[in-house]
Amino acid sequence: MKSLAIETEGLGRVYKIRGNRKEKKQIKERVALHDVNLQVERGELFGLLGPNGAGKTSLIKILVTLLAPTTGRATVVGYDVAKEPKAVRPLINMVSGGESSGYGLLTVRENLWLFGQFYGLDNKTTRSRTDELLEIVGLKDRANTKTSDLSTGLRQKMNIVRGFLTNPEVIFLDEPTLGLDVSASRDVRTFIRNWIAAKPDRTMLLTTHYMAEADDLCDRVAIINGGRVLECDSPGNLKRRLRSEAIFHLEVSPLNGELASFRNLPGVRQVVHTPGDGKSELEVILESDEAISGIISTLTTHQARVLSLQKREPTLEDVFVDLVGMSLAEAEKNG
Amino acid sequence: MLNTFSRTFIPAAWLGWQVESNWTHPLVFFLFSALKPISGVMILVFMFRAVSHVSTSSPLYAYIYVGNAFYIYVGAIVAGASYSILDDRERYRSLKYLYIAPVSIPVYMFGRAVARFATATLAVAITLAAGGLIFKVPIHPLQVDWPMFLSALFLGVLCLAAIGIILGSWTLTIRSEPHFLGEAVAAAMYLFSGAIFPITLLPRSLQPIGYLMPMTYWLELVRRALLGTNLSVFPTLVSYSNGELFGVLAILTASFGVVAFIAFRYFDRMARDRGMIDAQSNF
Amino acid sequence: MDSGWRLFLRTIVARAYPRVIGQQRQKSWIFFETFLPFIAVAGYVYVYRAMEASQDFMGFAVMGGAMTAFWLNVIWSMSAQMYWEKDNGNLALYIMAPNSMMAILLGMALGGMVATALRAAVILIFGIWVFHVQFAVSSFVQLFAVFLLTMSALYGMGMLFASLFLLYGRNVWQINAMMQEPIYLISGFYFPVKNFGMVVSLAASILPMTLGMDAMRQLMFSSGPAIGFLPVRKEIVGLVFLSVVFVTAAKYWLDKMERLAVQEGTLTDRRK
Repeated sequence: MKSLAIETEGLGRVYKIRGNRKEKKQIKERVALHDVNLQVERGELFGLLGPNGAGKTSLIKILVTLLAPTTGRATVVGYDVAKEPKAVRPLINMVSGGESSGYGLLTVRENLWLFGQFYGLDNKTTRSRTDELLEIVGLKDRANTKTSDLSTGLRQKMNIVRGFLTNPEVIFLDEPTLGLDVSASRDVRTFIRNWIAAKPDRTMLLTTHYMAEADDLCDRVAIINGGRVLECDSPGNLKRRLRSEAIFHLEVSPLNGELASFRNLPGVRQVVHTPGDGKSELEVILESDEAISGIISTLTTHQARVLSLQKREPTLEDVFVDLVGMSLAEAEKNG
Repeated sequence: MLNTFSRTFIPAAWLGWQVESNWTHPLVFFLFSALKPISGVMILVFMFRAVSHVSTSSPLYAYIYVGNAFYIYVGAIVAGASYSILDDRERYRSLKYLYIAPVSIPVYMFGRAVARFATATLAVAITLAAGGLIFKVPIHPLQVDWPMFLSALFLGVLCLAAIGIILGSWTLTIRSEPHFLGEAVAAAMYLFSGAIFPITLLPRSLQPIGYLMPMTYWLELVRRALLGTNLSVFPTLVSYSNGELFGVLAILTASFGVVAFIAFRYFDRMARDRGMIDAQSNF
Repeated sequence: MDSGWRLFLRTIVARAYPRVIGQQRQKSWIFFETFLPFIAVAGYVYVYRAMEASQDFMGFAVMGGAMTAFWLNVIWSMSAQMYWEKDNGNLALYIMAPNSMMAILLGMALGGMVATALRAAVILIFGIWVFHVQFAVSSFVQLFAVFLLTMSALYGMGMLFASLFLLYGRNVWQINAMMQEPIYLISGFYFPVKNFGMVVSLAASILPMTLGMDAMRQLMFSSGPAIGFLPVRKEIVGLVFLSVVFVTAAKYWLDKMERLAVQEGTLTDRRK
């Protein structure tokens, strides 16, 4: 029995972007993925965490056979996704966030039946699984509602049921809670958690840019940025990297100057500055508690007042900052 | 008000042109712009050829050719306004953003129609040139009554724009099969406006529809300007002088303008009530 | 889970389902897909009347109008439909599923066939009733065979076009729109293609409708044999050949285009 559900070796993807007529048809290249090496065991709930544009969706598209890799190879349940896509497809499914797939004129039940047919499910199995899954996600009372009459959150729940209906060996969830409200997101996460617990032989790959979601759900997380996997480990181990460090959150009066003066201080590993309304917020990662005194002194030199100071436990966001040198939000802004 | 007009009209016209032409190389776009209308008119040319006892020197030939050529404007502007709304609402999903912006939606529709007018003008010009040079249509540039032609063209296009705004506004409120509305009206006008045959051939009970259509008078004026007196063989509007035709067309244009204004306000309110501005049929 | 031909059949039925159900739930299509085409056909009939053409010519216009229903179903409900599926996110789900894309397209075609057949029938019935078109069918067997073969070649061609969409995306939609009139012209929807001369008519025979409609005109109207450019039997052979070629080419190109689209990355990109 194959122990690895997903494996990638030196996986890369480069997009060719043709310029418009003014650019005289220049072909530029955009590197979406570079030398990605991952191994996901069967039964894992594996997370891909990174900002928008990091390459998460490109990686998922390659693994679900929608996109060919430019370099390297990837296998899902032992089958090469580029050379044996037809062998891969019966064994997988995918749910994307922010989509409006399905047919507006059909009811929820009809849409699910339709997609079940594409996987060769007989009607009896489709019906029983549909009932079970709709009950779990809380959509059973809307089973006979046309999907065009559903809200975004309910339509996404229907899409989630569609993905799990075929009981895939590997399921890919690409930002499944994107655009959902807090309550719907919580329901989706609960569903994911319960499903993977009930089916220990099934594997799930989840992409998200919500740190808390990855922290909460995943057995292991790969942090990806700029098309590269920076680290891959369990959330606990990733955070433990920073346990020897001290992480402080400061609120100070507005800072206008460069952060170089902070970053160059002894014992300071990273400083992230977030301007706020009438204040500035600093997240600082220090090699030890003692280094905080240097921060305070420098603030005083800049005639900034410290409004609050808090030491806290490391989060995945801190791990990201430590690896990339900027927050997730800044990384998204930088594209 | 002028500021709102220019702020809306210019980007709308630019956008319309981009949507119409930006999908391919300009040369390919030009070829396709020529191919479609020429093919349409060649269908009629070959229909003529197929009927052995009718020749291309018959006045009917010129009548049909010119009518069919200018009918290109009707499809482009009237159906085009409806399609623009659909494109923005369903494909580009940008209509809701236009609605919350400080722009005038009717002016926006008008601006989008300008691009279609430009591409239609290209098609009409190519069709007429082909008619004169290849298909033996008796159009001689030196014999055309240009002031009459340009005045008629201006009035006719204005009327079409008003009808387009009515249909575009109506499209806002339709969820199922919205793309058929523009096609339906364009098809009806094709049949009842005497574009390709005199309306006296229609059953008597249906002929009044033709007399109520502004396009009937518009096409008659255009034909008279381009072809001169050959049209006397068709009795439909022979009793109307040029001035009377202009008068009727002007009155109908003004009427449709008023209807467009009222229709937009009515359908706009209905669309907001029904939540249709950002609806998607997804079917 | 089914696989093989069972999965193929399930997919056809499943994909036809939204089309069939949609037509029942939104009955507005009955007006738009029947009355409106009839108006367009009426225009051509009156053109022939203006020319004082024989009654058979009016029949040509009615028959041509009825057949446009099938052409439009293929072009817009198969080829261009893939564009809408891509926009909605369904195309990615189809490709990712273990079913066959040909089965998806067949399902679309069959599902749309209900409305198409009704549209064609209404145009024919109205044409006969309003314009007093008279048919003189010389062989029902041959007529049926010609119709079926035309449809199989036509839908095979539609699948081939659908594969072009997978790679070229939105441009194919524009090309579809632009090519409507040229196709009506070159296939002789409203007049006998014999008027083009033998060489052009033969070249136009690459389109199934050309041969199909020429054969149907010869079989359905009293002036038939005089207006065909090839004998009916030869046209039947031509249609068989086109059916085989288009269906085979469709399978080959669908697979090839899917591979190319996956490499280019355009398959699920809504912007392309």
